Formats: sequence, structure tokens, C-alpha cells
Amino acid sequence: MLLDEKLFEKFGVEYASNEIIFTEFEPGNEFYFIQEGRVKIVKIINNTEKTLDVLEIGDVFGEMAILEEEPRSASAIAMDDVKVLKFHRDNFDSLLQGNPQLAYKLLVIFSKRIYDAKRRLMILLLDDPQLKVMDVLNMLTEHDPQSDLGQPVTIHVTVQEVANWAGMQVNDVQKVLTHFNKLGKIELYNDKVIVNNIRDFQRIVTSKRKSLTR
Amino acid sequence: MTGGTMKPASGITTRGYKSGSIIYFEGDKSEYIYILKQGRVILTSNKIEQGEIVETKEEIKPGEFFGVKSSLGKYPRDETAQTVGDTIVLVLTLADFETLVLKNVNVVKKMLRVFSNQLRKIGKINREILGEGGATNPEVELFKIGEHYYKVGRYKQALYAYKRYMEYYPNTQYSDMAMKRINAIQSGSTDSDVQTDFEVETAVSDSAADEAKFTDFTLDEGDEQKAPLNDEFDLGGGGVESSLSSEMDDFLSDDSSDNLDDFSFDESSDAASGAQDVSTTYYDAVNLFSQGSFSEALSQFEEILQVKTLKDNAERNLFEKTHFEIGRCQIKLGQYNEALKSLSAMIKKFPKSEYVKIALFHIGLAYEMMKNADKAITYYNKVASMEPKDQINKQALKRLTVLKNKENV
Repeated sequence: MLLDEKLFEKFGVEYASNEIIFTEFEPGNEFYFIQEGRVKIVKIINNTEKTLDVLEIGDVFGEMAILEEEPRSASAIAMDDVKVLKFHRDNFDSLLQGNPQLAYKLLVIFSKRIYDAKRRLMILLLDDPQLKVMDVLNMLTEHDPQSDLGQPVTIHVTVQEVANWAGMQVNDVQKVLTHFNKLGKIELYNDKVIVNNIRDFQRIVTSKRKSLTR
Repeated sequence: MTGGTMKPASGITTRGYKSGSIIYFEGDKSEYIYILKQGRVILTSNKIEQGEIVETKEEIKPGEFFGVKSSLGKYPRDETAQTVGDTIVLVLTLADFETLVLKNVNVVKKMLRVFSNQLRKIGKINREILGEGGATNPEVELFKIGEHYYKVGRYKQALYAYKRYMEYYPNTQYSDMAMKRINAIQSGSTDSDVQTDFEVETAVSDSAADEAKFTDFTLDEGDEQKAPLNDEFDLGGGGVESSLSSEMDDFLSDDSSDNLDDFSFDESSDAASGAQDVSTTYYDAVNLFSQGSFSEALSQFEEILQVKTLKDNAERNLFEKTHFEIGRCQIKLGQYNEALKSLSAMIKKFPKSEYVKIALFHIGLAYEMMKNADKAITYYNKVASMEPKDQINKQALKRLTVLKNKENV
């Protein structure tokens, strides 16, 4: 959803490619709507900048600032020339009052974020590296509701990304995926994984998860 | 599933359930959103507590929504909804829900706060499991972000982090270091020894170093390239002031002086401040100036004048320089009369200062901006005749040429 021009006049900010919009650990008081360009969300982990997400037109970021000031949990960096709407927490109420569409949009975004965060947590709580990797693939399959689970499923993901989701080292993920590849459960490519029987993965993870539940 | 029949997705419908009915199961996919009208509904879900999955139950009160998140997010239900006692619910499609909330922004606001809270909690648990949470100190961590980008040579990003650090956490553990990094990046000397203490470095940045930099500047061709701009100078136009002043900016960044025999304390002060305060405030102000935030820079510089005790020569130097900087800010802000006052006061207070010449030049500049060409010419002439001959003399001569050409037209 693109908001109207008047909002951009009042709240619009532009960033050049590679410019930092905010950085991890600085206090956060504003949240942003992308109107143009892409923004990457990164975190410095073990002296490496890891990309957690790439956001595009219509996406929102920095939304945790809506509630109260808290240090940013990640950095936002412009990937292109980026136009955003930047809203301060103090204007939030009046902003929503005047823009119920924005309010609705935020509600949808929050719903998705909460689900994603919970879903990720479910992966992290698995204690077995193989299960974690399987469940990352399950989760990514869920992201595409169109996919036919009875057929081999193609998931566009790199080993690095799987490692990020699983909270594992890339090497360990590589080992697991190579193992699955040998067993014929998946076909492993540089930029994608084809899972031959995703329902199998779902069943294995679900049964393990049930046994974990008290 | 028990209960009344579901109508096609148009308009809000009412549905009755007998006790113990399941409205939906965890894992179901559906876009319906419910409002409890009468009776009781229990939501059963798996929550994470202390790293374990625990089955939790939550009761919905009449008037409350449920099934909102999974419907909006188009995800499977993450809880099971079951009735206790005879229950009536309102069933909304996504479109119904949208229409409803657009008319009741307050409901959305409430929901957003609840969601935001939930997201924060989950995020915290996630970070704890990944070992990223716990007792981190944002102040130190922010500085470390700067260090990371600095060390990998991404100076733009590093600069951002250091500046934020100075903004939010001035006068803390790493502020000297952050300031030193900012200066290194801005002066392009990022490969300098990172261990050098900031104050020591300032103290030793004496004439030798400055002369070297001045030599570099003299050889700079940029001067000639800018000349045609000045020739087209129009007193009414604003463009020239900036081109001129930006040339002057180049001088000023490297100036320093250790000749402060006639230094006197400023009377109007309320607090004694340490060396850190003066240098931090000074460089903050210089940064603001370079970003074009002249009034902010001005008020920062004015703060320095409030400092009562100056620790060493480095601080005295900055204090003296500050007087000149204030005049320069005022010129940028178009406060020419104030600038004239500040600059004359500075020359009176520090008559032997190395900044006298550049202050005189700026007085000329202020007069020129005020369209007082005669006064401007007087000051530029004075500057042009002053020893040693350097870039400032050249600038003054250039202004004189421009002004004289104007007269002849």
C-alpha cells in the first residue's frame, strides 16, 4: 500500500544507497514505511554483518518503536536510493486517527511478524540439528501457500540463510544438507533446495515436537 | 464442527455453539475472525516458557476478538478455540474486519499495542536462545558497531555509528575514542594509530603538522577551479557566500595556535568542565557546522564559552578557536551584525592569535554580505597586506578583484 503524497511531504525522508537509516543499539523512536527502494536489515554477529531480511516497497521496519523507546535490535541500511515515511512514536495516535488504512496495514504486518517470530522460536527450540534444518525447510514451504505438498517442493534458499534461520553455523548446516542429499531426501543446489517429500519432514518434526511438550 | 451453518463470505454472521465445541483447531487455515458475543471461549496454545514448550490456556472475554493474527497474517491457527457453555460468536470475514476496524481506529490502536508487546516478548526469547540477549550494554555495543565498520573500512557506516554514540552517550567511556575516530574519518587519516590517546594527539598537533597541511592546501588546484564562480559574483546572490565560505572552511579545519599568553577567562560561566567536555563539544559543533546545521553548531560553540577552567594548551586553543567559529556560524546564519561583534571581540581578546587574520577576512566577508563594499575593501586590503602571505591573503585579493570589477561595471 502506498500512502498518499501529502504524507510524503510531511514525513518523507530519502536515503542514498548504502546509507544507514538506523543502527543496532541506538535508541529507537521512529518507525518507517518504505515508499521506494529496498532496505536491508542487518546485525553484526561475530564480527560479520549478517543480513536478516531485505524489505521492499510497502514494508515497514523499526515498528518496535511504536510502543516505547528501546535500543534497535538490528541495523537498517538502504540498498538503493530509498524513500521512506518516518513516523515518530509521539505522532502515532494522531497519525492513525487520520489514516485508518495505515492502522490496518500495521495490524497485518504485526500479525505476520508475530507469527514468523513464533515460528522461528519453534525451530530454535528443537534440540537436534537435523530437525532444525528440516523445520526451516518446513517453515519456508509454509511461506508459499500455493505449493503442492504431495510433489517435490522447490525452496529458494541458500545454506547461509538456512543457518541464519536455524541459529546454526553454516558448516553444520552444510553437513546436514549434504547428508539429506546423500539419502535422497533433498536435491541441493547453490540457491535452492528441492525437498522430495516435505510431508515426511513435517511429520518427523511434529512428532518430535509433541514429545517435547509438557 | 458444531454450530449454525456458515453463510458465504458477505456480511457479519452470528453463530451459536454448544458447550465443548471446537470453533477451530490449531493448524487450521481460515480467514475468519471472531468476536465473542456471549458465553466463554478458551484458547489453548503452546507457549514457550523458560525454553520449554508449555500448553497454556487463555480465556476470551465477551466483546473480545480472537483468531485475528492468523487470519490477517494468512497463517494456520496457532491455537485451538473451544467453547465452555453455550456460546454465541460473531463471525467476520477479512473484508468485514477491515471495514469494522477502519471505522474504529481505537480498536486497532489497542490491538497494535497488544501485538507490539507480544512481538517484543517473542523477540526477546528468540535472542536469548540465540545467545544474543542478556546483559548487553547498548552504549558499549553501539560503539562496537562503529568499530566493526571502521575496521572493515566502511567509514560511512562507522561515522554514522560514532556520531550516534556521541549524540546519545556523550562523555562516556568511549567518547574520546569515538571523537578521534570521527575526526580521523572526516580528515581522511583513518590509518592513523588507533591506540593514540585523543588528548595527547590534540596537544601535539602543533605548527609543524599544520604547516605541512597548509603546504598541501597551497598546492591544491581547487582554488583555480572555483575562481570563475567568484568572478560572476553578484552581491545580491546567495550562492557566492557559500562557495566562498566553503573555501574558507578548508583553511579552518587545520588551523591551530599555541600562543595564548593573553588568554583570559570568561566571566559568564556556571560550571567547571573537564578537557573532554571542551573537545567533545567543540568537535560536535564542527560536525554540525559541516553538516550545515549552523544554528545548532552556534549554540554548541556558545556552550564552550561557558567553560570556566581550561586544562591545557589544547583546550585553550579550542577555546580561542571557538570565538572565531561563532562569528563564522553567525555569517552562515546571515546574522552579520552579530558576526561583526563576535569577530571584533575575538580580535580584542586574543590580539596575537593566529586567527586574527582569518577573523579580519570574515569581517570583510560580513561587510560584503551587508553590501558595504567600502568597509569590505578596507578589511580585505588589511588582510592582503598581512604576513606571512598565505591562502587567506590570496582569498582577500580575490575578493578585492571581484569587488573592484563590480565598481567598474
